[in-house]
Amino acid sequence: MSLIHIDSLSKHFKILNRREGLSGAFRDLFSGDYRTVEAVAGISFDIDAGEIVGYIGPNGAGKSTTIKMMTGILKPSGGTLQVNGLVPYDNRIRQAQIMGVVFGQRTQLWWDLPVIESFKILREIYKVDQKTFDHHMDMFNELVGLKSLYTQQVRTLSLGQRMLCDISASFLHNPQVVFLDEPTIGLDISVKAKIRSVIQKLNREHNTTIILTTHDLGDVEALCHRIIIIDKGKILYDGDIKRVNSLFGAYRTLKLQIDNFTESTLRTLAEKLTKNFGEEHGVTIAETEEFWTDVTIDQARTPLSDVLSFVMSSFPVSDVRIVEISMENIVRKVYDGALA
Amino acid sequence: MSITYFLWRSIYQNRETLRGLTFNETYVYVALGSAVFILLKTYVDWQMSFDIREGMIATYLIKPIDLQFYVLFTSLGFFLTSLGAITIPTILLLIFVFHIEIPVGIGLAIFPLSLILAYLLSFCFDYFIGLLGFYTESVWGLSITKEIIVTVLSGALIPLQFFPEAIQKILLWLPFQAIYYTPLTMVAKPDLGWGTFLPMLGVQLFWVIALFALTRLFYNQAVKVLRISGG
Repeated sequence: MSLIHIDSLSKHFKILNRREGLSGAFRDLFSGDYRTVEAVAGISFDIDAGEIVGYIGPNGAGKSTTIKMMTGILKPSGGTLQVNGLVPYDNRIRQAQIMGVVFGQRTQLWWDLPVIESFKILREIYKVDQKTFDHHMDMFNELVGLKSLYTQQVRTLSLGQRMLCDISASFLHNPQVVFLDEPTIGLDISVKAKIRSVIQKLNREHNTTIILTTHDLGDVEALCHRIIIIDKGKILYDGDIKRVNSLFGAYRTLKLQIDNFTESTLRTLAEKLTKNFGEEHGVTIAETEEFWTDVTIDQARTPLSDVLSFVMSSFPVSDVRIVEISMENIVRKVYDGALA
Repeated sequence: MSITYFLWRSIYQNRETLRGLTFNETYVYVALGSAVFILLKTYVDWQMSFDIREGMIATYLIKPIDLQFYVLFTSLGFFLTSLGAITIPTILLLIFVFHIEIPVGIGLAIFPLSLILAYLLSFCFDYFIGLLGFYTESVWGLSITKEIIVTVLSGALIPLQFFPEAIQKILLWLPFQAIYYTPLTMVAKPDLGWGTFLPMLGVQLFWVIALFALTRLFYNQAVKVLRISGG
Protein backbone atom coordinates (compact mmCIF):
# COMPACT_ATOMS: atom_id res chain seq x y z
CA MET A 1 0.00 0.00 0.00
CA SER A 2 1.22 3.47 -0.77
CA LEU A 3 2.28 5.75 2.06
CA ILE A 4 0.45 8.79 0.74
CA HIS A 5 -2.78 8.41 -1.15
CA ILE A 6 -4.44 11.42 -2.74
CA ASP A 7 -7.56 11.27 -4.84
CA SER A 8 -9.24 14.28 -6.50
CA LEU A 9 -8.13 16.50 -3.64
CA SER A 10 -9.20 20.13 -3.78
CA LYS A 11 -8.97 23.28 -1.71
CA HIS A 12 -10.64 26.59 -2.37
CA PHE A 13 -10.41 29.85 -0.52
CA LYS A 14 -13.00 32.60 -0.32
CA ILE A 15 -11.39 35.95 -0.88
CA LEU A 16 -13.02 39.32 -0.36
CA ASN A 17 -12.73 41.57 -3.38
CA ARG A 18 -11.25 44.61 -1.70
CA ARG A 19 -11.93 48.05 -3.05
CA GLU A 20 -9.47 50.83 -3.41
CA GLY A 21 -8.94 53.77 -1.13
CA LEU A 22 -10.33 54.88 2.19
CA SER A 23 -13.99 54.90 1.17
CA GLY A 24 -13.46 51.48 -0.38
CA ALA A 25 -12.14 50.17 2.91
CA PHE A 26 -15.28 51.41 4.67
CA ARG A 27 -17.56 49.81 2.10
CA ASP A 28 -15.59 46.53 2.40
CA LEU A 29 -16.79 46.25 5.98
CA PHE A 30 -20.29 45.49 4.73
CA SER A 31 -19.33 43.77 1.52
CA GLY A 32 -20.45 40.29 0.60
CA ASP A 33 -18.47 40.44 -2.58
CA TYR A 34 -16.37 37.28 -2.39
CA ARG A 35 -14.71 35.32 -5.12
CA THR A 36 -13.60 31.74 -4.80
CA VAL A 37 -10.04 30.84 -5.61
CA GLU A 38 -9.28 27.23 -6.40
CA ALA A 39 -5.79 26.78 -5.00
CA VAL A 40 -5.88 23.04 -5.57
CA ALA A 41 -8.39 21.82 -8.13
CA GLY A 42 -8.67 18.08 -7.98
CA ILE A 43 -5.31 16.32 -7.91
CA SER A 44 -4.58 12.62 -7.53
CA PHE A 45 -1.37 10.75 -6.89
CA ASP A 46 0.18 8.03 -4.76
CA ILE A 47 3.58 8.10 -3.15
CA ASP A 48 5.40 5.00 -1.91
CA ALA A 49 7.63 4.70 1.11
CA GLY A 50 11.24 5.72 0.50
CA GLU A 51 10.58 7.83 -2.59
CA ILE A 52 12.00 11.30 -3.07
CA VAL A 53 9.43 13.18 -5.09
CA GLY A 54 9.95 16.61 -6.58
CA TYR A 55 6.77 18.62 -6.36
CA ILE A 56 7.29 21.63 -8.55
CA GLY A 57 5.42 24.43 -10.23
CA PRO A 58 5.49 28.20 -10.59
CA ASN A 59 4.56 30.57 -7.76
CA GLY A 60 0.95 30.24 -6.70
CA ALA A 61 0.55 26.84 -8.34
CA GLY A 62 -0.84 25.25 -5.18
CA LYS A 63 2.30 23.46 -3.97
CA SER A 64 2.36 24.85 -0.46
CA THR A 65 -1.40 24.43 -0.10
CA THR A 66 -1.05 20.72 -0.93
CA ILE A 67 1.79 20.36 1.57
CA LYS A 68 -0.26 22.10 4.26
CA MET A 69 -3.13 19.70 3.64
CA MET A 70 -0.81 16.68 3.76
CA THR A 71 0.61 17.86 7.08
CA GLY A 72 -2.90 18.27 8.49
CA ILE A 73 -2.90 22.00 9.16
CA LEU A 74 -5.32 22.85 6.36
CA LYS A 75 -8.66 21.18 5.89
CA PRO A 76 -9.25 20.03 2.31
CA SER A 77 -12.41 21.26 0.59
CA GLY A 78 -12.96 17.96 -1.14
CA GLY A 79 -11.45 14.65 -2.17
CA THR A 80 -9.54 11.97 -0.29
CA LEU A 81 -6.19 12.36 1.41
CA GLN A 82 -4.52 9.69 3.49
CA VAL A 83 -1.06 9.49 4.93
CA ASN A 84 -0.11 6.10 6.32
CA GLY A 85 -3.78 5.13 6.17
CA LEU A 86 -5.08 8.04 8.24
CA VAL A 87 -6.63 11.41 7.37
CA PRO A 88 -4.04 14.00 8.47
CA TYR A 89 -6.52 16.75 9.29
CA ASP A 90 -8.61 14.57 11.63
CA ASN A 91 -5.59 13.07 13.40
CA ARG A 92 -3.26 16.05 13.43
CA ILE A 93 -1.39 15.31 16.65
CA ARG A 94 -0.99 11.61 15.92
CA GLN A 95 0.07 12.24 12.33
CA ALA A 96 2.56 14.93 13.32
CA GLN A 97 4.51 12.23 15.11
CA ILE A 98 5.33 10.46 11.83
CA MET A 99 6.00 13.63 9.84
CA GLY A 100 8.79 16.13 9.60
CA VAL A 101 8.32 19.50 7.97
CA VAL A 102 10.72 22.22 6.88
CA PHE A 103 9.35 25.51 5.67
CA GLY A 104 12.17 27.27 3.88
CA GLN A 105 10.71 30.67 4.65
CA ARG A 106 10.48 30.25 8.41
CA THR A 107 12.18 28.25 11.08
CA GLN A 108 10.49 25.75 13.34
CA LEU A 109 13.26 26.12 15.91
CA TRP A 110 13.02 28.58 18.79
CA TRP A 111 14.37 31.90 17.62
CA ASP A 112 15.83 33.03 20.94
CA LEU A 113 17.17 29.72 22.22
CA PRO A 114 20.54 28.12 21.54
CA VAL A 115 20.42 25.36 18.93
CA ILE A 116 20.93 22.53 21.39
CA GLU A 117 18.02 23.72 23.56
CA SER A 118 15.74 23.69 20.51
CA PHE A 119 16.73 20.09 19.84
CA LYS A 120 16.13 19.18 23.48
CA ILE A 121 12.63 20.66 23.33
CA LEU A 122 11.95 18.70 20.16
CA ARG A 123 13.20 15.58 21.92
CA GLU A 124 10.54 16.12 24.60
CA ILE A 125 7.80 17.07 22.16
CA TYR A 126 8.32 14.03 19.94
CA LYS A 127 9.19 11.76 22.90
CA VAL A 128 12.45 10.62 21.32
CA ASP A 129 14.35 8.31 23.67
CA GLN A 130 17.83 9.33 24.77
CA LYS A 131 19.63 6.62 22.80
CA THR A 132 17.99 7.51 19.49
CA PHE A 133 18.51 11.19 20.26
CA ASP A 134 22.24 10.74 20.89
CA HIS A 135 22.60 8.58 17.80
CA HIS A 136 20.85 11.17 15.64
CA MET A 137 22.76 14.09 17.09
CA ASP A 138 26.02 12.29 16.31
CA MET A 139 24.82 11.67 12.78
CA PHE A 140 23.83 15.33 12.30
CA ASN A 141 27.17 16.38 13.68
CA GLU A 142 28.91 14.18 11.14
CA LEU A 143 26.75 15.48 8.29
CA VAL A 144 26.55 19.19 9.00
CA GLY A 145 28.93 19.85 11.88
CA LEU A 146 26.05 20.64 14.21
CA LYS A 147 28.15 20.54 17.38
CA SER A 148 29.93 23.78 16.62
CA LEU A 149 26.54 25.54 16.52
CA TYR A 150 25.11 24.07 19.76
CA THR A 151 25.55 27.16 21.90
CA GLN A 152 24.52 29.71 19.29
CA GLN A 153 21.10 31.29 19.41
CA VAL A 154 19.01 30.32 16.41
CA ARG A 155 18.52 33.95 15.39
CA THR A 156 22.28 34.45 15.08
CA LEU A 157 22.73 31.61 12.60
CA SER A 158 23.29 32.32 8.93
CA LEU A 159 20.52 31.28 6.58
CA GLY A 160 22.50 28.26 5.44
CA GLN A 161 23.33 27.12 8.98
CA ARG A 162 19.74 27.63 10.04
CA MET A 163 18.46 25.57 7.15
CA LEU A 164 20.85 22.72 7.95
CA CYS A 165 19.63 22.83 11.57
CA ASP A 166 16.01 22.90 10.46
CA ILE A 167 16.47 19.94 8.15
CA SER A 168 18.28 17.99 10.87
CA ALA A 169 15.49 18.83 13.31
CA SER A 170 12.84 17.53 10.96
CA PHE A 171 14.56 14.13 10.89
CA LEU A 172 15.15 13.93 14.65
CA HIS A 173 12.12 11.76 15.49
CA ASN A 174 12.58 9.28 12.68
CA PRO A 175 9.56 10.42 10.68
CA GLN A 176 8.18 8.25 7.89
CA VAL A 177 7.71 11.23 5.64
CA VAL A 178 9.45 14.60 5.50
CA PHE A 179 8.11 17.60 3.64
CA LEU A 180 10.73 20.04 2.48
CA ASP A 181 9.10 23.26 1.30
CA GLU A 182 11.73 25.20 -0.62
CA PRO A 183 14.70 24.20 1.53
CA THR A 184 17.27 25.87 -0.71
CA ILE A 185 15.53 29.23 -1.11
CA GLY A 186 17.98 32.13 -0.96
CA LEU A 187 21.08 29.97 -0.48
CA ASP A 188 24.33 30.07 -2.43
CA ILE A 189 25.55 27.24 -4.63
CA SER A 190 27.92 25.60 -2.15
CA VAL A 191 25.33 25.51 0.65
CA LYS A 192 22.76 24.17 -1.81
CA ALA A 193 25.11 21.35 -2.74
CA LYS A 194 25.66 20.55 0.92
CA ILE A 195 21.93 20.51 1.65
CA ARG A 196 21.31 18.21 -1.29
CA SER A 197 23.86 15.68 -0.08
CA VAL A 198 22.48 15.84 3.47
CA ILE A 199 18.95 15.21 2.22
CA GLN A 200 20.17 12.27 0.19
CA LYS A 201 21.99 10.69 3.12
CA LEU A 202 19.08 11.19 5.50
CA ASN A 203 16.74 9.63 2.96
CA ARG A 204 18.92 6.52 2.77
CA GLU A 205 19.49 6.23 6.52
CA HIS A 206 15.90 5.20 7.35
CA ASN A 207 14.32 4.96 3.90
CA THR A 208 12.42 8.17 4.70
CA THR A 209 9.93 9.38 2.12
CA ILE A 210 10.71 12.93 1.05
CA ILE A 211 8.48 15.39 -0.72
CA LEU A 212 10.41 18.34 -2.00
CA THR A 213 9.00 21.54 -3.38
CA THR A 214 11.45 23.89 -4.94
CA HIS A 215 12.05 26.50 -7.58
CA ASP A 216 15.54 25.26 -8.18
CA LEU A 217 15.57 22.64 -10.90
CA GLY A 218 19.07 21.71 -9.79
CA ASP A 219 17.60 20.36 -6.53
CA VAL A 220 15.16 18.21 -8.43
CA GLU A 221 17.80 16.96 -10.85
CA ALA A 222 20.14 16.02 -8.00
CA LEU A 223 17.60 14.35 -5.72
CA CYS A 224 14.46 13.07 -7.36
CA HIS A 225 13.59 10.18 -9.62
CA ARG A 226 9.99 11.17 -9.83
CA ILE A 227 8.58 14.58 -10.45
CA ILE A 228 5.11 16.05 -10.19
CA ILE A 229 4.51 19.33 -11.98
CA ILE A 230 1.54 21.37 -10.84
CA ASP A 231 0.14 24.61 -12.19
CA LYS A 232 -3.07 26.48 -11.35
CA GLY A 233 -4.00 23.69 -8.94
CA LYS A 234 -3.86 20.93 -11.53
CA ILE A 235 -1.25 18.27 -12.19
CA LEU A 236 0.46 18.74 -15.53
CA TYR A 237 2.91 15.89 -15.32
CA ASP A 238 3.60 13.02 -12.96
CA GLY A 239 6.30 10.58 -13.79
CA ASP A 240 9.93 9.84 -14.37
CA ILE A 241 12.27 12.80 -14.20
CA LYS A 242 14.21 11.64 -17.27
CA ARG A 243 11.58 12.85 -19.70
CA VAL A 244 11.39 16.24 -18.04
CA ASN A 245 15.14 16.29 -17.88
CA SER A 246 15.23 16.26 -21.67
CA LEU A 247 13.29 19.51 -21.47
CA PHE A 248 15.22 21.51 -18.94
CA GLY A 249 18.46 19.64 -19.27
CA ALA A 250 18.72 20.32 -22.97
CA TYR A 251 17.60 23.90 -23.06
CA ARG A 252 19.82 26.81 -22.10
CA THR A 253 19.15 30.46 -22.63
CA LEU A 254 21.90 32.81 -23.71
CA LYS A 255 21.32 36.42 -22.70
CA LEU A 256 23.19 38.80 -24.95
CA GLN A 257 23.74 42.52 -24.83
CA ILE A 258 24.53 43.66 -28.34
CA ASP A 259 26.06 47.09 -29.00
CA ASN A 260 24.36 49.39 -31.49
CA PHE A 261 21.17 47.39 -31.09
CA THR A 262 18.54 48.36 -33.69
CA GLU A 263 15.25 47.00 -34.92
CA SER A 264 16.96 44.98 -37.59
CA THR A 265 19.52 43.32 -35.29
CA LEU A 266 17.16 40.53 -34.30
CA ARG A 267 16.27 39.82 -37.93
CA THR A 268 19.91 39.79 -38.99
CA LEU A 269 20.78 37.47 -36.12
CA ALA A 270 18.01 35.05 -37.07
CA GLU A 271 19.08 35.06 -40.72
CA LYS A 272 22.71 34.49 -39.93
CA LEU A 273 21.89 31.62 -37.55
CA THR A 274 19.84 29.87 -40.22
CA LYS A 275 22.60 30.39 -42.74
CA ASN A 276 25.22 28.93 -40.40
CA PHE A 277 23.38 26.09 -38.67
CA GLY A 278 20.71 25.17 -41.20
CA GLU A 279 16.90 25.37 -40.98
CA GLU A 280 16.56 22.94 -38.04
CA HIS A 281 18.88 24.78 -35.67
CA GLY A 282 16.47 24.74 -32.71
CA VAL A 283 17.42 28.24 -31.64
CA THR A 284 14.77 30.80 -30.78
CA ILE A 285 15.36 34.51 -30.37
CA ALA A 286 13.41 37.13 -28.49
CA GLU A 287 14.08 40.58 -27.14
CA THR A 288 13.05 40.50 -23.47
CA GLU A 289 14.25 43.67 -21.85
CA GLU A 290 15.74 46.72 -23.43
CA PHE A 291 19.07 45.93 -25.12
CA TRP A 292 18.96 42.30 -23.96
CA THR A 293 18.39 39.51 -26.47
CA ASP A 294 17.37 36.04 -25.32
CA VAL A 295 18.66 33.18 -27.42
CA THR A 296 17.18 29.84 -26.29
CA ILE A 297 19.14 26.88 -27.53
CA ASP A 298 18.08 23.26 -27.83
CA GLN A 299 21.40 21.59 -27.15
CA ALA A 300 20.20 18.34 -28.63
CA ARG A 301 20.37 20.04 -32.03
CA THR A 302 22.99 22.76 -31.75
CA PRO A 303 25.68 22.91 -29.06
CA LEU A 304 25.60 26.05 -26.94
CA SER A 305 29.32 26.64 -27.42
CA ASP A 306 28.94 26.76 -31.20
CA VAL A 307 26.17 29.34 -31.03
CA LEU A 308 28.09 31.37 -28.49
CA SER A 309 31.31 31.53 -30.49
CA PHE A 310 29.40 32.24 -33.69
CA VAL A 311 27.46 35.13 -32.14
CA MET A 312 30.54 36.53 -30.44
CA SER A 313 32.48 36.59 -33.69
CA SER A 314 29.76 38.14 -35.83
CA PHE A 315 28.18 40.70 -33.44
CA PRO A 316 29.60 43.36 -31.14
CA VAL A 317 28.46 41.65 -27.92
CA SER A 318 29.24 43.60 -24.77
CA ASP A 319 27.77 41.26 -22.14
CA VAL A 320 26.74 37.61 -21.95
CA ARG A 321 24.84 35.57 -19.40
CA ILE A 322 23.91 31.90 -19.56
CA VAL A 323 20.65 31.06 -17.82
CA GLU A 324 19.11 27.68 -17.11
CA ILE A 325 15.55 27.32 -18.28
CA SER A 326 13.09 28.63 -15.69
CA MET A 327 10.19 26.88 -14.04
CA GLU A 328 7.78 29.12 -15.94
CA ASN A 329 9.34 28.13 -19.25
CA ILE A 330 9.08 24.45 -18.43
CA VAL A 331 5.44 24.82 -17.51
CA ARG A 332 4.86 26.69 -20.76
CA LYS A 333 6.57 23.93 -22.71
CA VAL A 334 4.52 21.26 -20.95
CA TYR A 335 1.36 23.19 -21.88
CA ASP A 336 2.62 23.30 -25.45
CA GLY A 337 2.65 19.54 -25.43
CA ALA A 338 6.35 18.87 -24.96
CA LEU A 339 5.69 15.81 -22.79
CA ALA A 340 2.58 14.56 -24.56
CA MET B 1 1.29 55.09 44.28
CA SER B 2 1.27 58.42 46.15
CA ILE B 3 -1.43 59.72 43.84
CA THR B 4 -3.56 56.66 44.53
CA TYR B 5 -2.98 57.13 48.23
CA PHE B 6 -4.11 60.76 48.31
CA LEU B 7 -6.98 60.11 45.91
CA TRP B 8 -8.45 57.45 48.19
CA ARG B 9 -7.55 59.47 51.31
CA SER B 10 -9.67 62.33 50.02
CA ILE B 11 -12.50 60.00 48.99
CA TYR B 12 -12.61 58.66 52.53
CA GLN B 13 -12.03 62.09 54.17
CA ASN B 14 -12.90 61.43 57.77
CA ARG B 15 -15.14 58.44 57.30
CA GLU B 16 -14.17 55.12 58.87
CA THR B 17 -15.73 52.86 56.28
CA LEU B 18 -17.26 53.20 52.82
CA ARG B 19 -19.45 50.41 51.49
CA GLY B 20 -18.13 48.07 54.16
CA LEU B 21 -14.47 48.71 53.39
CA THR B 22 -12.07 50.61 55.64
CA PHE B 23 -9.56 52.97 54.08
CA ASN B 24 -6.73 50.52 54.67
CA GLU B 25 -8.62 47.63 53.11
CA THR B 26 -9.40 49.67 50.00
CA TYR B 27 -5.85 50.94 49.76
CA VAL B 28 -4.39 47.43 50.08
CA TYR B 29 -6.86 46.27 47.43
CA VAL B 30 -6.02 49.03 44.95
CA ALA B 31 -2.26 49.04 45.58
CA LEU B 32 -1.95 45.28 45.27
CA GLY B 33 -4.23 45.43 42.26
CA SER B 34 -1.67 47.53 40.44
CA ALA B 35 1.12 45.17 41.56
CA VAL B 36 -0.56 42.11 40.01
CA PHE B 37 -2.04 43.97 37.02
CA ILE B 38 0.95 43.27 34.75
CA LEU B 39 1.27 39.76 36.15
CA LEU B 40 -2.23 38.78 35.08
CA LYS B 41 -1.72 40.00 31.54
CA THR B 42 -0.73 37.04 29.41
CA TYR B 43 -0.43 38.85 26.06
CA VAL B 44 -1.17 35.55 24.32
CA ASP B 45 -3.77 37.31 22.15
CA TRP B 46 -1.11 39.62 20.74
CA GLN B 47 1.37 36.79 20.37
CA MET B 48 -1.13 34.55 18.58
CA SER B 49 -2.21 37.35 16.28
CA PHE B 50 1.43 37.94 15.37
CA ASP B 51 1.97 34.22 14.78
CA ILE B 52 -1.11 34.01 12.58
CA ARG B 53 -0.19 37.04 10.50
CA GLU B 54 3.40 35.89 10.07
CA GLY B 55 2.37 32.30 9.37
CA MET B 56 4.40 31.05 12.35
CA ILE B 57 1.27 29.28 13.64
CA ALA B 58 2.01 26.60 11.03
CA THR B 59 5.23 25.65 12.78
CA TYR B 60 3.27 24.91 15.98
CA LEU B 61 0.58 22.94 14.21
CA ILE B 62 3.05 20.62 12.49
CA LYS B 63 4.21 19.41 15.88
CA PRO B 64 2.41 16.75 17.90
CA ILE B 65 1.35 19.25 20.55
CA ASP B 66 -1.91 20.70 21.80
CA LEU B 67 -2.06 24.37 20.86
CA GLN B 68 -3.87 25.48 24.03
CA PHE B 69 -1.30 23.94 26.35
CA TYR B 70 1.59 25.03 24.17
CA VAL B 71 0.43 28.65 24.31
CA LEU B 72 -0.31 28.39 28.04
CA PHE B 73 3.10 27.04 28.94
CA THR B 74 4.85 29.57 26.73
CA SER B 75 3.02 32.33 28.57
CA LEU B 76 3.99 30.86 31.96
CA GLY B 77 7.53 31.91 31.14
CA PHE B 78 6.35 35.50 30.97
CA PHE B 79 4.34 34.97 34.16
CA LEU B 80 7.44 33.96 36.11
CA THR B 81 9.44 36.81 34.62
CA SER B 82 6.88 39.46 35.53
CA LEU B 83 6.49 37.88 38.96
CA GLY B 84 10.20 38.24 39.69
CA ALA B 85 10.83 41.48 37.85
CA ILE B 86 7.69 43.50 38.56
CA THR B 87 5.18 42.07 41.02
CA ILE B 88 7.48 41.05 43.87
CA PRO B 89 9.58 44.28 43.73
CA THR B 90 6.36 46.33 43.66
CA ILE B 91 5.01 44.52 46.73
CA LEU B 92 8.33 45.03 48.56
CA LEU B 93 8.22 48.69 47.59
CA LEU B 94 4.67 48.97 48.94
CA ILE B 95 5.67 47.42 52.25
CA PHE B 96 9.03 49.07 52.89
CA VAL B 97 8.71 52.44 51.17
CA PHE B 98 4.99 53.20 51.35
CA HIS B 99 4.56 51.33 54.65
CA ILE B 100 1.37 49.73 53.52
CA GLU B 101 -0.14 47.50 56.22
CA ILE B 102 -1.04 44.17 54.70
CA PRO B 103 -3.30 42.44 57.23
CA VAL B 104 -2.36 38.89 58.11
CA GLY B 105 -4.94 36.10 57.94
CA ILE B 106 -5.90 32.92 56.11
CA GLY B 107 -6.88 35.02 53.10
CA LEU B 108 -3.25 36.00 52.65
CA ALA B 109 -2.22 32.33 52.75
CA ILE B 110 -4.59 31.27 49.99
CA PHE B 111 -3.98 34.41 47.92
CA PRO B 112 -1.20 32.77 45.81
CA LEU B 113 -3.48 29.87 44.90
CA SER B 114 -6.26 32.26 43.97
CA LEU B 115 -3.81 34.30 41.91
CA ILE B 116 -2.84 31.22 39.89
CA LEU B 117 -6.50 30.47 39.16
CA ALA B 118 -6.95 34.12 38.20
CA TYR B 119 -4.06 33.82 35.79
CA LEU B 120 -5.56 30.73 34.16
CA LEU B 121 -8.86 32.62 33.75
CA SER B 122 -7.15 35.63 32.27
CA PHE B 123 -5.37 33.20 29.92
CA CYS B 124 -8.70 31.75 28.77
CA PHE B 125 -9.97 35.20 27.76
CA ASP B 126 -6.75 36.07 25.92
CA TYR B 127 -6.59 32.68 24.23
CA PHE B 128 -10.21 33.11 23.12
CA ILE B 129 -9.35 36.46 21.53
CA GLY B 130 -6.29 34.83 19.95
CA LEU B 131 -8.52 32.14 18.44
CA LEU B 132 -10.80 34.84 17.02
CA GLY B 133 -7.68 35.87 15.12
CA PHE B 134 -8.08 32.64 13.12
CA TYR B 135 -11.11 34.38 11.59
CA THR B 136 -10.05 38.02 11.61
CA GLU B 137 -6.24 37.64 11.33
CA SER B 138 -5.76 40.85 13.29
CA VAL B 139 -7.06 41.17 16.85
CA TRP B 140 -6.07 44.74 17.61
CA GLY B 141 -9.61 46.08 18.09
CA LEU B 142 -10.83 42.93 19.81
CA SER B 143 -7.93 42.97 22.25
CA ILE B 144 -8.45 46.59 23.20
CA THR B 145 -12.17 45.99 23.71
CA LYS B 146 -11.54 42.89 25.84
CA GLU B 147 -8.93 44.82 27.83
CA ILE B 148 -11.41 47.57 28.73
CA ILE B 149 -14.25 45.18 29.55
CA VAL B 150 -12.09 42.96 31.75
CA THR B 151 -10.39 45.86 33.53
CA VAL B 152 -13.66 47.58 34.45
CA LEU B 153 -15.89 44.57 35.18
CA SER B 154 -13.29 42.54 37.06
CA GLY B 155 -12.75 45.12 39.77
CA ALA B 156 -9.16 45.78 38.72
CA LEU B 157 -9.57 49.54 39.13
CA ILE B 158 -11.95 49.79 42.07
CA PRO B 159 -13.41 47.17 44.41
CA LEU B 160 -16.77 45.86 43.20
CA GLN B 161 -18.41 47.27 46.36
CA PHE B 162 -18.17 50.73 44.81
CA PHE B 163 -20.42 49.74 41.90
CA PRO B 164 -24.20 50.29 42.26
CA GLU B 165 -25.86 47.37 44.06
CA ALA B 166 -27.80 46.09 41.03
CA ILE B 167 -24.69 46.02 38.87
CA GLN B 168 -22.70 44.33 41.64
CA LYS B 169 -25.22 41.48 41.67
CA ILE B 170 -24.81 40.97 37.92
CA LEU B 171 -21.03 41.19 38.06
CA LEU B 172 -20.81 38.49 40.71
CA TRP B 173 -22.43 36.08 38.26
CA LEU B 174 -19.89 36.85 35.54
CA PRO B 175 -16.41 35.29 35.26
CA PHE B 176 -14.58 38.65 35.17
CA GLN B 177 -14.72 39.27 38.94
CA ALA B 178 -12.83 36.01 39.54
CA ILE B 179 -9.75 37.52 37.89
CA TYR B 180 -9.10 40.54 40.14
CA TYR B 181 -11.85 40.93 42.70
CA THR B 182 -11.51 37.44 44.21
CA PRO B 183 -7.76 37.33 44.90
CA LEU B 184 -7.60 41.01 45.92
CA THR B 185 -10.46 40.61 48.38
CA MET B 186 -8.53 37.78 49.98
CA VAL B 187 -5.63 40.09 50.84
CA ALA B 188 -7.75 43.11 51.65
CA LYS B 189 -10.06 41.22 54.01
CA PRO B 190 -8.09 38.13 55.08
CA ASP B 191 -10.32 37.36 58.05
CA LEU B 192 -13.53 36.54 56.22
CA GLY B 193 -12.97 32.86 57.05
CA TRP B 194 -13.11 29.58 55.16
CA GLY B 195 -16.88 29.82 54.85
CA THR B 196 -16.39 32.75 52.46
CA PHE B 197 -13.10 31.84 50.86
CA LEU B 198 -13.86 28.24 49.88
CA PRO B 199 -16.90 29.17 47.77
CA MET B 200 -14.84 31.98 46.20
CA LEU B 201 -12.13 29.51 45.20
CA GLY B 202 -14.83 27.13 44.02
CA VAL B 203 -16.30 29.78 41.73
CA GLN B 204 -12.84 30.53 40.34
CA LEU B 205 -12.17 26.87 39.71
CA PHE B 206 -15.57 26.47 38.07
CA TRP B 207 -14.88 29.31 35.64
CA VAL B 208 -11.38 28.03 34.86
CA ILE B 209 -12.70 24.57 33.98
CA ALA B 210 -15.70 25.94 32.07
CA LEU B 211 -13.70 28.44 30.02
CA PHE B 212 -10.90 25.94 29.33
CA ALA B 213 -13.48 23.52 27.96
CA LEU B 214 -15.31 26.20 25.96
CA THR B 215 -12.15 27.54 24.34
CA ARG B 216 -11.15 23.96 23.46
CA LEU B 217 -14.46 23.45 21.70
CA PHE B 218 -14.07 26.80 19.99
CA TYR B 219 -10.58 25.83 18.82
CA ASN B 220 -12.03 22.83 16.95
CA GLN B 221 -14.26 25.23 15.02
CA ALA B 222 -11.71 27.98 14.53
CA VAL B 223 -8.93 25.76 13.22
CA LYS B 224 -11.14 24.84 10.27
CA VAL B 225 -11.06 28.36 8.88
CA LEU B 226 -7.41 29.00 9.61
CA ARG B 227 -5.39 30.18 6.67
CA ILE B 228 -1.64 30.13 6.80
CA SER B 229 -0.16 33.36 5.56
CA GLY B 230 2.79 33.38 3.23
CA GLY B 231 4.83 30.69 1.56
